[in-house]
Amino acid sequence: MSATGSVDQFRHSFCEEARDVLVDLESALLELNESRLDQGLVGRVFRGLHTLKGSGAMFGFDELAGFTHNLETAFDEVRNGRQTVGSELIDLTLEALDRIRVLLEDDAGKAAAEAGIRAEILSRLKQLTGSSEPGPAKPAAEVPASGGGEVRDWHIHFAPGADMMRTGADPFLLLRELGQMGGLSVRASMAAVPPLRELDPERCYVSWEMVLATTADRDAIRDVFIFVDDCCELSIEPASVASSEPKEGFTAREACATDLTARALEEPRAACGGRRVYDKADTAASLRVPAVKLDQFVDLVGELVTVQARLSELSARRDDPEVAEVSEEIERLTSSLRENSMNIRMMPMRSTFEKFRRLVHDLARDLGKDVELTIEGADTELDKTVIDQLSDPLMHLIRNSMDHGIEAPAVRTARGKRPTATIHLSARHSGASVLIGVSDDGGGIDSGAVRQRAIEKGMVDAGAALGESEIFALIFQPGFSTAKQVTDVSGRGVGMDVVRQRVDSLRGTIEVVSKPGVGTSVTLRLPLTLAIIDGLLVSVGEACFVLPLADTLECIELTRTDVERANGKHLANVRGELIPYIRLRQYFEIGSDAPEIEQIMVVETGEGRYGFVVDKVLGDCQSVIKNLGRVYRHVQVVSGATILGNGSVALILDPERLVQEVVRTLAHCARGRSPAAPGPGRKRDGP
Amino acid sequence: MLCLEGTVDIACAAELKALLIEGLSGAKPVRVSIEKAASLDVTAVQLLWAAARESRAAGVELTLDGPVPAPVLAALGSVGLREFPVALGIG
Repeated sequence: MSATGSVDQFRHSFCEEARDVLVDLESALLELNESRLDQGLVGRVFRGLHTLKGSGAMFGFDELAGFTHNLETAFDEVRNGRQTVGSELIDLTLEALDRIRVLLEDDAGKAAAEAGIRAEILSRLKQLTGSSEPGPAKPAAEVPASGGGEVRDWHIHFAPGADMMRTGADPFLLLRELGQMGGLSVRASMAAVPPLRELDPERCYVSWEMVLATTADRDAIRDVFIFVDDCCELSIEPASVASSEPKEGFTAREACATDLTARALEEPRAACGGRRVYDKADTAASLRVPAVKLDQFVDLVGELVTVQARLSELSARRDDPEVAEVSEEIERLTSSLRENSMNIRMMPMRSTFEKFRRLVHDLARDLGKDVELTIEGADTELDKTVIDQLSDPLMHLIRNSMDHGIEAPAVRTARGKRPTATIHLSARHSGASVLIGVSDDGGGIDSGAVRQRAIEKGMVDAGAALGESEIFALIFQPGFSTAKQVTDVSGRGVGMDVVRQRVDSLRGTIEVVSKPGVGTSVTLRLPLTLAIIDGLLVSVGEACFVLPLADTLECIELTRTDVERANGKHLANVRGELIPYIRLRQYFEIGSDAPEIEQIMVVETGEGRYGFVVDKVLGDCQSVIKNLGRVYRHVQVVSGATILGNGSVALILDPERLVQEVVRTLAHCARGRSPAAPGPGRKRDGP
Repeated sequence: MLCLEGTVDIACAAELKALLIEGLSGAKPVRVSIEKAASLDVTAVQLLWAAARESRAAGVELTLDGPVPAPVLAALGSVGLREFPVALGIG
């Protein structure tokens, strides 16, 4: 790879990591807004800005570095007690972070278009802090070393790894940045430089031993290396306990004399030996992998699962113990690989949740409300694909809650509530699902108003008997809003529809619980992954279907006698409990005759327990979910298809939707209306 | 005579290596000038270092021609390499 190509790649990598730093900065600022005297938070903000500045300069984002330098200086003033934290400084810094995000887009046109905005921000910052004329980053000598506190010596060992230079990183710049933090003594070692002909010209062989006298702590020092810490050997120890503490007062002259002159005539062999140190250092604790590569990997694992199913079936047909042994081994390995690949895609909800702190802060300010955001279960992991699609629904739910649910402070006080309202975001696992909750302690949903609005809009009949959950479900219908006026925040009846559509597309469900005057809680139940599911393979005639294993409770027999006893009603008596069932043969209009004894698969759904009548249960299977494509995108009762070991296709049923569809059809029939298409594509009678 | 001008960094490291190898492969002394260099990065430093070491082993003279610019010297000093030209034996 050429140096230029690598540098571009790592500039991109810097941008990604810088965005993570921005998210953390935003969180720290919003926390600081709540605890304005917290020096730990001030330090966190300062370090984040310092990292952005230093690393930005290193990767050629000079405008970003210069702009950030002014913010860093302002927070250095805060660290040193010369400036206090106020809401204006917080808001201004948050605004500045938005501008930094634009600079990270590396779009010269956009960056230039925002030059005026950046200048305005810096001008306001100057007025606020009373600092000198804002401008580009100052040279090292002019930058304040660090905040107040005790000066201590740190022994730092820094050896760039094989590829560090190719990332665009320059060790000299890092060392100069360290020099800005305090008094720095540096000793360079050339011991690992190989003979000229063997030397890779784009690799750094030099390493450094340093002593830094600073008030900064270990984290702050490590932040200097944040963008190269996975491609270098780095240790930072208090000088008094460092294992190879340099002799006191060593100087650069001595260092060079020791390491440069004395080793000038060392055998090349020794120099080559030194390189191994760097090779070892390249072993990174974590890697940043492009999402597209991960998706390709999971796709390939999916294909492997399909092929493995074919092998298992082939092995079952042949009475060959050797083939059976290999097949079982491959099945075991495939299962482990599948589990591992799914785990790789799992990400904690934290970053998604944390970014809503800013939304809540900004909306609270705009709406004149006092709202705090609390987060629970941020470490709950969920498939990346699902997380990527959760931001919008959560944003709409929070906006709706802030605008319609939470009352103004005066109203809350009058109602005997705390003037500060709470929005609570939560995540927790529940079986093969994850439950994402958005709750508030606002005024709750006025179910009467919702019902009235739905009647006005012709969504329901005036005389319709609707339960509370049915009324709340209307909120998620397209165009529904009870808002008396449309605001910038919500009220157009678009957001909640987006929530429903997105959750539907994720094969999830929404549950709303609300009490007038107490608050509202919306829970999204989502599958942990969208790629592969554990299923039960069943057959009806020649057709095969997959039912998600997580939803399936048990399997019971259904004899013709049972059917006759029920007098035509589709109800099964399961240990005294009457469970309605749906005949898949009838629903999918499969022409063959039913066997003497059928099987009822009992599943748990939001509508209660239901049974699906099938001919046979063929066994469990790992199903790679294949999209049915655009033509079938309106077929809601099927969540996809999978290829079986024999090459045939089985539809993966969505029990929840299937039951909802049938219940809705029956409800329409009971009201004497023309039923909506109950089957996958045409009108039919009830189950 | 090898004149290094402007920014001498990773972008021209491969070329510098080739020039140094070519220079050392002849019997004539090699003169290097960094008088017009604005900056040297670590790749340039280690190439010159390796070339100096090799010149001694090969018995080929490698000398630094002209002064080292003050900014370059200061920059080298800040990363523990102030004595670099002297230590190379070409200063």
